[in-house]
Amino acid sequence: MVTITPQHFLILAFILVGIGFLGLLIRRNVLLMLMSLELMLNGINVALLTFSRVGNNLDGGIFVFFIMTVAAAEVAVGLALLVALYKKRKSVLSDDMSLLKN
Amino acid sequence: MINYALSMLFLPLLSAMVTLFFLRKNGNLASLLSVFTAGGILVLALLVIFGNEEDVLAWDTSWFAMAGWELRFGFLIDAPARLLLFVVAFVGFLIHVFSLGYMENDPARPRYFGGLSLFMFSMLGITLADNLIMLFVFWELVGFSSYLLIAHYFNTEEASLASRKAFIVNRVGDFGFLIGIILTYWTYGTVNLSELADLADFSPSLATTTLCLALACGFIGKSAQFPLHVWLPDAMAGPTPVSALIHAATMVAAGVYLLLRIDFLFTDQALVLIAFVGAGMGLYAGFCALVQKDIKKVLAYSTLSQLGYMAAAFGIGAPGLALFHLTTHAFFKALMFLGSGSVIHACHHEQNIFNYGGLRKRMPITAITFLIGVLAISGVNFFSGYFSKDAILLWSYNFNMPVFVILYAGAILTSVYMFRLYFITFEGQPRSHNSSDAKENSILMTGPLMVLAILSILGGYFSLYPERLSSYLSPDLSVFSELPNHMWMVVLGTSAWIIGLLFAWSFFGKVEDETDPLAKRYPAFFELCQSKLFFDEIYRFYVDKIQDPIARFIEVLELLLISGLMVRGSAGLAALFSMLAKVCYVGKIHSYSLWFILGTLGFLIYSLGLFE
Amino acid sequence: MNAVDLLFWIFSALSVGGGLCMVFSRHPVSAAMFMIVSLVGVAALFVLLEAFFLAVLQVLVYAGAVMVLFLFIIMLLDVGPDAARQKISNWKFGLFGLLTSVILVVVLIMLGSSVDSFIFEGAAWPFLGEDSLSANESLPFSTNVSSFGYGLMTKYMLPVQISGFMLLAAMIGVIILSKKSDQSEDV
Repeated sequence: MVTITPQHFLILAFILVGIGFLGLLIRRNVLLMLMSLELMLNGINVALLTFSRVGNNLDGGIFVFFIMTVAAAEVAVGLALLVALYKKRKSVLSDDMSLLKN
Repeated sequence: MINYALSMLFLPLLSAMVTLFFLRKNGNLASLLSVFTAGGILVLALLVIFGNEEDVLAWDTSWFAMAGWELRFGFLIDAPARLLLFVVAFVGFLIHVFSLGYMENDPARPRYFGGLSLFMFSMLGITLADNLIMLFVFWELVGFSSYLLIAHYFNTEEASLASRKAFIVNRVGDFGFLIGIILTYWTYGTVNLSELADLADFSPSLATTTLCLALACGFIGKSAQFPLHVWLPDAMAGPTPVSALIHAATMVAAGVYLLLRIDFLFTDQALVLIAFVGAGMGLYAGFCALVQKDIKKVLAYSTLSQLGYMAAAFGIGAPGLALFHLTTHAFFKALMFLGSGSVIHACHHEQNIFNYGGLRKRMPITAITFLIGVLAISGVNFFSGYFSKDAILLWSYNFNMPVFVILYAGAILTSVYMFRLYFITFEGQPRSHNSSDAKENSILMTGPLMVLAILSILGGYFSLYPERLSSYLSPDLSVFSELPNHMWMVVLGTSAWIIGLLFAWSFFGKVEDETDPLAKRYPAFFELCQSKLFFDEIYRFYVDKIQDPIARFIEVLELLLISGLMVRGSAGLAALFSMLAKVCYVGKIHSYSLWFILGTLGFLIYSLGLFE
Repeated sequence: MNAVDLLFWIFSALSVGGGLCMVFSRHPVSAAMFMIVSLVGVAALFVLLEAFFLAVLQVLVYAGAVMVLFLFIIMLLDVGPDAARQKISNWKFGLFGLLTSVILVVVLIMLGSSVDSFIFEGAAWPFLGEDSLSANESLPFSTNVSSFGYGLMTKYMLPVQISGFMLLAAMIGVIILSKKSDQSEDV
């Protein structure tokens, strides 16, 4: 008898989102902030798949596919930006990227 | 036919635009263009008047429409419009020709002739307009072009003040006019003149005295009637041909024309009021004219007085006679103004009549034509003024005795001050170098004088008018011819001008020096007349002591409430918000993502339904 | 407790623990390693949800390509461990972050549980096959890769094209960013 319900999956998904967000807030290294974003996306993916499975609908799964695609592109562009910035400012810390304020 | 009318209306506008954009430096070309435009208007006007047989030519098109309300642009060329159209086009053309001579040495000719063309455009618009709103638009346009032309010599203090005065005083009247138009629309649901006529016929009970008096405010402002008469004498600061065209022959008469256009709206009380205001103006302006030293101001006051006659004629129920007098007045008053222009031009812009004298020998054509004008306005038998003025007098004798008494006194005064003007200016010996050196002007200036002189004689012979022009006058004139007491009126009218002539001769026949003989003999009376019954002073007092404090009070309110509270206040509020927002703007990506998530949280919590 | 339950607990602990360690690890390289652990855990959860294809993709794309990219960049930039003061951005944000994250998780869970009574509550594992195929046009869930591909090529044709285009744009953008960075203006 299976005791795992969809709620378990959902709770897990949201915990992942929360951890990702926590990382986004407390890390100053932009690389790690990007990773935290990935973690949040993963949490969302889990939730989507759960709904897809439960609702007997493939749409959620296909959305996960698209989210992966977008995430891959986002990481590529984000990292390229980071490299470009690093060449100028010799730093990957977000504190050093507050040019708009000053 | 409509194409003729349309091109006639827009030809002067085109000419004014061309002058404005291309000919601002080229005085000769600009003046020629303007004169040819005036000639074109005359030809087209004759085509419009005589080119077809229809009694009423109506045409309109949509001007603009919004939200179920439409403003139409249209022409209503009926009998009074035809006559005024003829007068405007004809007198306008003659004055354009005269201006060629009068303004030949003026450096600002393009501005002057552009203004004249603009004026012709606006005046034709008033003449042809078929609804009150369109009429009002052109009404304002004549006011504006009059302002432009009065201020032609804008570097003199007098002209700039006078132009402003004319503009502001006209605003007062036009405000009433605008209210009248709104009331009309409110009451009748239309502003179209022919529809209004039908409606007023159908349900006479709709007409109210308030409504027609509000509309008459437009007349009072534009025709310079009591209590808004103060602007016209000052408007003489403009060039003399302008005074002749705008402030004597056409624009001021447009007020009377407005009354004719809407006469079906008037109630009996309003008519009586207008009759008395007009008659009173006829007498009052006569007294003022009696003591003026400036040749143009004498003529200006006499214009006021004659406009009073027209208003009185309208008030006692004879709009046809009012238009008749308007026509003859346009001829002889334009004649006299142009004559005075000729004198002023010859005497090097000297305008004080006591510095003239003996001009008859030096300027015979001007003198004779001017004398014809004087005879016409004084109502000397068989000149044009005799027919139109005595018709009004007889009508009032039979229908309204008090008005007749006032008008008759005014008629005697008219003859006194007109002959005074003639004697002082043209008879006796020259009293200054300017007048002893004077020479007759060129044909450009005397030509229009002679044409107008002929018209001033013939203009009163009603039967000479073509049927197309006279159809509006005929009903009133046929009633007039059946009135009793004709012979009695001939005696009275003749005695009026003879009394005036004798008075003038005894007082002003021999003027030796520069003081007014009247001032020597009756100084108190002279002073009273010269004060013009203190109207300017009363208005000055009103503006200074009553209007200005109110304006200052409102200004303080405006500073406090609008500028202080609303404008600055809203700016301050925005600044306050920006200060709050700046606190959140710390320049760290972490704080921004925090705000972002908090916002998302807000939405999520809302979707939980916790707030409901 | 049967095998499925056990697997769920193991892999959820793996993904959550990996995530936490990633967030709090000092060195970027170890953070990336923990991240891989977490991603693999999530991939296993995908398997438990019967999304086999996506699980494979997760391992290939995320744990494989993306994380390799991360590691590569870390090495390229030679980012060392955060200094002590840099480890956590600052306590204010840490506190706020913790608080907000907890609230976020709670709210999300409340939202999720408010949509209770799923179709198969308490259904047996695996619960494939008994589901009524509804007559609507939506794609029924399937473990089959070919039906996944069928969905992509029919109903989601336009998004597929768009994401292809987006990938192209990202690629060009990355090339330009990497190429011109030394000539660009001072940032």
